[in-house]
Amino acid sequence: MSIATASLLARAATGDEARAFALLAELSEALAVSLDLRQTLPLALQRIVDYMQVEAASLFLLDEQTDELECKLCVGPVELGGARLARGQGVVWRSVIEKAVLVVADAAADPRVYRGLDAQTGFVTRSLISAPLTTAKGVIGAIELANKRSGEAFDDTDAGILRLLAAPTALAISNARMAAELVEQQRLKREFDLARRLQKLLLPKRRRAGFPLLALNLPAHEISGDFYDYFDLPDGRIGFVIGDVAGKGLDAALLMTRAASLLRWAGKDGIAPGEWLRRANEELCQTTHGGRFVCAAVGYYDRSNGLVQMAGAGFPPALLYQSGIYSEYRSEGPPLGIVVGQEFHETRLRLGGGSLYFFSDGVTDVRSNGGRLGQEGARALIERHSAAPPEVRLRSIFSELRQLRLVDDTTLLLLEETQPNAAVLLLRQVFPAEPERLRGMRAELRAVLERAGVAADLRDRLVLAVDEACCNIIRHAYAGNRGDIVLSLQRDGDVLEFELRDDAPGVDPSRVTPRDLAECRAGGLGVNFIDTLMDGWRLQPCAGGVGNVLWMWKRVAAPVEELP
Amino acid sequence: MNDLIIEAYGSLLLIRLSGEVDLSWSGRVRDAIIDALEQRSVGVDLSAVSYIDSSGIAALVEGLQTARDGERRFVLVATSPAVLAVLELARLDRVFTLLPDLAALEAG
Repeated sequence: MSIATASLLARAATGDEARAFALLAELSEALAVSLDLRQTLPLALQRIVDYMQVEAASLFLLDEQTDELECKLCVGPVELGGARLARGQGVVWRSVIEKAVLVVADAAADPRVYRGLDAQTGFVTRSLISAPLTTAKGVIGAIELANKRSGEAFDDTDAGILRLLAAPTALAISNARMAAELVEQQRLKREFDLARRLQKLLLPKRRRAGFPLLALNLPAHEISGDFYDYFDLPDGRIGFVIGDVAGKGLDAALLMTRAASLLRWAGKDGIAPGEWLRRANEELCQTTHGGRFVCAAVGYYDRSNGLVQMAGAGFPPALLYQSGIYSEYRSEGPPLGIVVGQEFHETRLRLGGGSLYFFSDGVTDVRSNGGRLGQEGARALIERHSAAPPEVRLRSIFSELRQLRLVDDTTLLLLEETQPNAAVLLLRQVFPAEPERLRGMRAELRAVLERAGVAADLRDRLVLAVDEACCNIIRHAYAGNRGDIVLSLQRDGDVLEFELRDDAPGVDPSRVTPRDLAECRAGGLGVNFIDTLMDGWRLQPCAGGVGNVLWMWKRVAAPVEELP
Repeated sequence: MNDLIIEAYGSLLLIRLSGEVDLSWSGRVRDAIIDALEQRSVGVDLSAVSYIDSSGIAALVEGLQTARDGERRFVLVATSPAVLAVLELARLDRVFTLLPDLAALEAG
């Protein structure tokens, strides 16, 4: 406390200015009532006006963006709300800059006074006083009082009192601002949570064991700029996408959602990978600005002949591991979203029994022993886990990466057939979804199972399960509409895999549940049969709301000869 | 291939089914059973049924329920192994009255 303030307080405490303490207490209390400044500040300012017996009071706050003082609030005969003062203008600014209470006894004669506001409003300032609003973070504004009603000039006692009154005012404003920041932070966090959930929805669901594509994504921050996708084409090929959006945070996440949906859209037609990227690039160029861009690799895999067609746009090299040898396939094209009219070169390779890895640069940028992991590090990482089956291998690689320091989102896509001489297709038939066609389907399926060496009682049970599934498709999915059912049966090791596809409207899998067998009633038995007869089943509506795929599988012992 | 013959057998109507009772046919089987039960008690001969699915089982369950409500008998006669396997699967083999042959039907 300065000597001036101390003596002022001593004086005030003895004189009738003891009221100053009462006001100070009252003001502090009033400002603490609420964090809503629109409610508390006008009352506070009015109390100051009443106590100090002045004609006008105004509260200015610093606008850091424009470096102006803006009048947020005023009490008096003229309205100054919204008035702005450029840096250095008038006594208010001077009190802010000098961090001191300034008194002007005779405004007409004082060169420090800015006369612009008087000229605009017609108010005549005779005497004024301005006190800075000081917080822990510095000066945030000032309170200015004009003209004592008694006609006297302001003096040092007035300056001391205003300095005291400015303190709780500044504190109240500062508290309210911090509260608002907190609310804003919570709002942002909610938005981030939502964005993260939306992003997760964009990534494709993990497929059943035996599907040749597997991917994992580990965001370095709350939301990711990486994405991957895979989908089935009508011709049986599998499309895949892996991408990485430059930058982090919400902007990158939004671009990621756009890029992911765009790349899926462009690849659905089964066009050549180069054309696929070209289309996506043209679209992304129209909407991507501010130095953002998208790196991606896209391609198709044909399980029937093991052919991979792919193209890259600024994406890290794909790594093929085949019979102990690594081959790198570099992205020939530039990243997407920068320059229109780019060409993207297509690469073809035979997967054979090999493994094709796509890493986002988050993998190679991982910090390891003071340097980047790099392509060599990535190879060593694969090598260490090469004996493990795909799923376990990817998870092991990820858990190692997690122990290192992730600096970027990290995504890994693996293309690999689960077994070198993978599944054998035993049957594929397409038939209209009509009850009259079921007999023929059963006969053919029975014959195929018999040839496959499946024992008679198991064979009949499997036929029943497939028949029940077809009945449900006819009755509940197509529900009287025309369409086809595609039945495939393949043998993968000792597992028989049945697949039924339809083009009916999407079925909600959660509504397909077996009924309680203890209950004796007609109907609803089919799902129960499937549930009992198969080792497992999974129903998945296709994207777009049309079509469903039902997978059912059953482990069978080594072929058992039927007893004569 | 699929055949449905109804003949009077003592106090019962005997419905002889042969072939595969699946979704394409189970509706008609069900109607025949319900119609017959309106007249008298019913036996269903399943000895020549080589296949039955859940919709066929449902037709039999409905017959059983209708008979119970109308206080009539509803029995399955000479159930083939294929049908029995599915009845067991649905845990309905103890719900129905299963008679080994027509002689048992006469005895009952």
